Amino acid sequence: MALQNSTSRPIKTVSFHQTWSAYAFLAPALVILFLSLLLPAVATLLMSFTDVSFLKPTNFIGFDNYIKLFNDTRFQQAVGNTIHYTVGVTFPTMVLGLLAAVALNQNVPGRIAFRTIFYLPVLTSLIAAAVVWAYVYEPYAGPLNGVLTRVGLPPQPWLQNPSLAMNSLIIMAIWRDFGTAMIIYLAGLQDIPNDLYEAARLDGAKGKDIFLRITVPMLSSVTFYLLIILIVQTFQVFGAIYVMTQGGPLGSTETVVYQMYQTAFGYTEFGYSAAMSTILFLTILVFSIIGTRIMRRKDA
Amino acid sequence: MARLELSNVSKSYGAFDAITDVSLAIEDGEFAVFVGPSGCGKSTLLRLIAGLDPISDGAIRIGPDDVTRRPAGTRSVAMVFQSYALYPHMSVYDNIAFPLQMERRSKGDIRQQVEKAAGTVQLSTRLKDKPSKLSGGQRQRVAIARAIVRKPKIFLMDEPLSNLDAALRIEMRTELTQLHKELGATMVYVTHDQLEAMTMADRIVVLNGGRVEQVGKPMDLYHKPVNRFVAGFIGSPPMNMLRSKVKAIESEYYSFEAAGIGTIVIDGLAKRLKVGEEVVLGIRPEFLAPHPAGSEPLVKIGVVPRSVERLGAQTIIHSAIEGQNFTCVFAGDQAVEPGRDLNVYCDAANIHVFDAAGTTVGRN
Repeated sequence: MALQNSTSRPIKTVSFHQTWSAYAFLAPALVILFLSLLLPAVATLLMSFTDVSFLKPTNFIGFDNYIKLFNDTRFQQAVGNTIHYTVGVTFPTMVLGLLAAVALNQNVPGRIAFRTIFYLPVLTSLIAAAVVWAYVYEPYAGPLNGVLTRVGLPPQPWLQNPSLAMNSLIIMAIWRDFGTAMIIYLAGLQDIPNDLYEAARLDGAKGKDIFLRITVPMLSSVTFYLLIILIVQTFQVFGAIYVMTQGGPLGSTETVVYQMYQTAFGYTEFGYSAAMSTILFLTILVFSIIGTRIMRRKDA
Repeated sequence: MARLELSNVSKSYGAFDAITDVSLAIEDGEFAVFVGPSGCGKSTLLRLIAGLDPISDGAIRIGPDDVTRRPAGTRSVAMVFQSYALYPHMSVYDNIAFPLQMERRSKGDIRQQVEKAAGTVQLSTRLKDKPSKLSGGQRQRVAIARAIVRKPKIFLMDEPLSNLDAALRIEMRTELTQLHKELGATMVYVTHDQLEAMTMADRIVVLNGGRVEQVGKPMDLYHKPVNRFVAGFIGSPPMNMLRSKVKAIESEYYSFEAAGIGTIVIDGLAKRLKVGEEVVLGIRPEFLAPHPAGSEPLVKIGVVPRSVERLGAQTIIHSAIEGQNFTCVFAGDQAVEPGRDLNVYCDAANIHVFDAAGTTVGRN
């Protein structure tokens, strides 16, 4: 008993000190998070229930902004464009990233150089890349149409045709993002024990079987992670559209975030823009929760 | 099942020779164990037989077929890995079924074969589980079932028990030996544990530095090691080695002056040694006794025990002679006190003599 009494007190004291030390170390990060994330998020949510604008007094209008949103055909088009962009970018980026990673995981000559080349677009400034791609897509003097003309095909108005503009943006995004997918897949591939491949070879599996039955399933955690990251990232696309198309032609490249920007800073409808922002936030949150749950279940 | 034949097999990695000129035949149905210290090339040799690495020189035959240039999946060999190498995303059923699925067998046939193999390794009730739900021993059984189901000509096992705890290792050792008898399979088993080699093997192949030191039945290796390396490697605790010189030769009697012991007389050596020649005398710890017994001539050795391990069934005494470890293993429980002088006795016929090159000097 004496021993218990003598040991319990110091343990409590240490625990108390440790707790406060931990909070002290966490405080700077928590303050920054509160000011930069939590406060604006709460402010946006509150703003979405008002008609705040520079042009008239602010009123609390309940769910009016949300009701208006669900009947707004322009918003529906932006949602459709965003889904088009997300699907168009996410899946090809993952497939190309996986194929590049598998190829560059082999002992091929120049693999380090190829890895660097494929990853370089990720490191470039988005705005600079968008300016270069705007030039590439330029209908009269652009190099892409130059190539088409040279091989006898008609030049295309890449960013001026409503049915081509979004796909043109998607191609640029894939070019920029597949390096990230490749690097993440490469890390995943290097985590797969070589024993598994040797066992599969001894079991009579060949290239395609090994890829589909061993490599792809062993990368499933990485694939889910990438899927969520890319969905969240592409849902928030803004920079490339701002530089290259400003949402045009005929709203064909206007995504939710670009429309939010236009609504807030173009039409000064901050309350309505805040409602869009809240819907986007909730959508991303749902994907993140689904992704996290799937990852946890796989790890269990 | 088939005979395995290696002819002058060599493997180099750049300037490093991992395997040098190994020629070996393992008979149909034999349980052969490759044993040796870490880095001796035993796992490399197994990988060469499996076809996981190409050989640099020589030939490998399985049965009548030259498989030297054949890829791994076409040699009709199955391998059990040290890490088990189970596919973690597949159930036990799918792990066992995988080789049959690769042969594009019918679903009914696969089910029948998998259930039979799972029954052999007592895993019929765990077929739906993922490997992560199984214990180490059960995972090892899945790996064995995956090998069995293919009905290979040769089973290769690369230290399959080294990740198991001591009790399970003994249990699995017995089960593997039993399985070998049931299947009548040709098995090549790699281990660094000479105890595993001695208890499981029909024949042991001792490897050192990429070369075969000796091939033989366990008791041949124990009683008639061809050199100092094999003598030191086979047997636990290892053989005591005493630096000595030939002091005198009278007819067929050799007197050796052993450092820290004195004169030891041995007769019947098959090779002529010269007076003054340096040799090493080897005495197995278990051939030393605390009392004079057995046939003459006896050798008396004085030791000072540094530590004593009383295990009940045997007593192990650790001491040193001229800086060299000297171990005695006495049968039964012996009340030996550390630090007190002790005389131990050995039949001269049980002393091994190694010449300066380390080769055993045989007996007539």
